[in-house]
Amino acid sequence: MVTAFSVRNLYFRYPSSAEDTIKGITFDVYGGEIFGLLGPSGAGKSTTQKILVKLLEDYKGSIEYFGRDLRGMDHSFYEEVGVGFEMPVHFTKLTALENMQFFSGFYKSTTDIRKLMERVGLWEYRDMKVGEYSKGMKVRLNFVRAMLNDPKVLFLDEVTNGLDPANARIIKDMIAEFRNQGGTVFLTTHLMNDVEDLCDRVAFCVDGKLVEISTPRDLKLKYGKREVRVEYRDNKAVKTAVFPLDGIGFNKEFHNLLQTAGIETIHSGETTMEDIFITVTGVKLNEHADQTD
Amino acid sequence: MNTLIRLIKGELTRLLKYKILPVSLATSVLWIGLFLSVSAREAWDLASLVIFVDVAAMSVLLLGASHHLEKQDGTIRTMMVMPVSLVQIITAKTVASMVLAIESAAITSLALYIIHKITLNYAMLLLFVVISCAAHAAIGFVLSLNSRDFNSMLGLLMAYMFIFMIPSLLFAFKVFDAKYEWLIMISPSHAANHLITSAVTGEYKPGMIIVGCLYLLILAGILFRFVVCPKFKDNAVRG
Repeated sequence: MVTAFSVRNLYFRYPSSAEDTIKGITFDVYGGEIFGLLGPSGAGKSTTQKILVKLLEDYKGSIEYFGRDLRGMDHSFYEEVGVGFEMPVHFTKLTALENMQFFSGFYKSTTDIRKLMERVGLWEYRDMKVGEYSKGMKVRLNFVRAMLNDPKVLFLDEVTNGLDPANARIIKDMIAEFRNQGGTVFLTTHLMNDVEDLCDRVAFCVDGKLVEISTPRDLKLKYGKREVRVEYRDNKAVKTAVFPLDGIGFNKEFHNLLQTAGIETIHSGETTMEDIFITVTGVKLNEHADQTD
Repeated sequence: MNTLIRLIKGELTRLLKYKILPVSLATSVLWIGLFLSVSAREAWDLASLVIFVDVAAMSVLLLGASHHLEKQDGTIRTMMVMPVSLVQIITAKTVASMVLAIESAAITSLALYIIHKITLNYAMLLLFVVISCAAHAAIGFVLSLNSRDFNSMLGLLMAYMFIFMIPSLLFAFKVFDAKYEWLIMISPSHAANHLITSAVTGEYKPGMIIVGCLYLLILAGILFRFVVCPKFKDNAVRG
């Protein structure tokens, strides 16, 4: 497997800060995967992303981009990289198409602007000034801009934040297609739906350190309860019974309940990414969203 | 080179779309109105002051407006993750600022000729406007990069003008004796004023011209190299 980014013992301190924001993190992002970096506000996610896209350079440790030292790369690095910021990043007095044409003009290789804008439902609004766009339209245009140069690696920050479910689905489908065609995605988000739908691996960043790196499936197994919860009706009352998942096929009590009671629901003890986020980071998601929004 | 040309074209398009160029043109029209109401001699005397104010104050003001509008739009950060260098971005913005100053000088010169049949040494004027503008663009960047928004940038500009432009204006109105001009040349505004006035009046003091040009070019170089470039990226990252 090709390693897109190899980060070793990374430290970073802002000039105005008394302590390191990034405290010795080590991880790899593999080519052709969607890697999610999660964590509460101020944990160091954005700083890590800014370092990887060369916006911040005075770091300690080493970062290799497809085997080359990131420090040694000049601005031609951006020919291969697409960056989608969460904040608005377009000239508001220019139309959406004027913006896209302006930005695409700087790349040696570009993709079809019309196809991209059609796909996200913005082509018919191409002549509207970006300042008149809704938040959701701006978010979709951000994504189009990040994809303009047909990048090899895509950095996305809160890519579906502010989108309705239908448009969020379109963007997520496009990201998955990008990955399926060999592209690498580095995603930072607090939307756990995006993580569950998209990420091949996730890392949790807390206070400048990575506390977990794994696949969503393995995390769910690790943090979930190995149990089966059955809700059934007994006379007119709804009752709950919990059975260990291990050996469930031989559990007579469980089988007896299935055969004799009116079963209403059966759930495994698999946990959600939201619960894992709370357990690992110690921060509730709504608090986190309030801080980041 | 193509990238730089594309960046400059983009800057000029935005000067138009963000109504910065029209505002600059409207200011020039005000000067034309002024020339219509005064004699040829008075117009000639006023011309250097008008061009100087456009180069030293208006171009700084418009550069600041443009910078803060782009900062608000978040596009400076976008440009930092494009295959363009920081030097190219800053050069394009400086050239756009020069275009504003040259446009103003051109309109003023044209108005002088049409209204009062006064001709100037246009090549020399162009050269001095470009040199003065390079230094003042650097100053404009320093003020913009050290201000939170356009209003605070205006405050810094006022402070700058009070410190550096008022002595120059007082000298122009002969409040200071001519023998103190060497001292006032330490003000970039006065150095620019001296060069522009020389080109408009046709009276050149070679020593002062050389010192003025070198001072402004070296100042621009130092500010761009050691203040603007490092601060620009930092400013873009912080948003």
